[in-house]
Amino acid sequence: MTFSTQIDQNLVKLLLEALESGELSQAGVLLDELTKVRESELYQRVSELTQNLHQTLDGLNDSSLLLQTKHDIPDASERLEYVINTTAEASNKTLESAENALNLMSSLQEATFKSIAGSDPENLQNMISQINSELTEIMLAQSFQDLTGQVLNRVIMIISSLEQSLIHLIDQSVHDYSAIPDRDKSAEEKSSDEMKGVGPNVTAKSKNGSTQSQAEVDDLLSDLGF
Amino acid sequence: MQVNREINILVVDDFSTMRKIVKDLLRELGFHHFDEADDGATAWPMVQTGKYDFIVSDWNMPEMTGIDLLRRVRTDENLKDTPFLLITAEAKRSQILEATQSGVDGYIVKPFTAATLNSKIHKIFERVAERKNSE
Repeated sequence: MTFSTQIDQNLVKLLLEALESGELSQAGVLLDELTKVRESELYQRVSELTQNLHQTLDGLNDSSLLLQTKHDIPDASERLEYVINTTAEASNKTLESAENALNLMSSLQEATFKSIAGSDPENLQNMISQINSELTEIMLAQSFQDLTGQVLNRVIMIISSLEQSLIHLIDQSVHDYSAIPDRDKSAEEKSSDEMKGVGPNVTAKSKNGSTQSQAEVDDLLSDLGF
Repeated sequence: MQVNREINILVVDDFSTMRKIVKDLLRELGFHHFDEADDGATAWPMVQTGKYDFIVSDWNMPEMTGIDLLRRVRTDENLKDTPFLLITAEAKRSQILEATQSGVDGYIVKPFTAATLNSKIHKIFERVAERKNSE
């Protein structure tokens, strides 16, 4: 980085004289004088760059960094939370079913041996053991939940970090984060998105205008004369 | 009312897990002739052969959406009366409205139960039988 200012040779001469004659406080004052020019040039450059960045951000259109930071990143985080919650729920349900089935198998075992002692208890025992081991496999398979949960939490941390960096960048460029507007999609754009399909409505925002259950869908269908 | 269990069914969804679940549930309801497609785009040529008595489709698929597939079926002279059921996560009122206006016979939102699937299928084929009787 080069500076345009010429170094004041006179000041340098005076500085040298002050140093040679041991006048250290005078030398200090002169050194300050010399560097002051450089400092103000530096500040000017930084201020110019900040102004440029501000103008650049000003000139960005809708699909910009600003909107993505404010809307898309929190949106992505909400979706990931949903994935964690849903898979946890599914795992719990599966585990419950497996446990219930195992209990049933116990009872079945007792009942069967009581009623058919004499026919082939060993074969029956084998079948029951096999079924038990299938059920245990189902339970063990649920351990994925723990691993995917850890991975997803990491992703959430990464995204959160990125969000903070971007907010910081926006602040540094003297933009007002809280003044970033809502996404403004035209009715056509919204309609076009919906025709392509928007996936499950998991964020609080996307639940607007959507049905929450088959019962609600059926109500709407019967209102439509279905 | 007994639905004919020998009908040919096409199951369309880009997630293989979902196709498997739908097929398994339909199998438990007594159906056994299934074909699968992973997108509206791969399904359409299959549908055009005229083989299918019933189409069960997702909405959100990469190449051709279920709603697009439905519209094509309804505008084809030979295929337009094919019973068509959407099973989808798309649940916005405007989307449901669009689906009914495009001629869907049933709309199931995910996640769904076997009971729901069973009752919707019965409704659809009841309506099909009514249409035939009034012709």
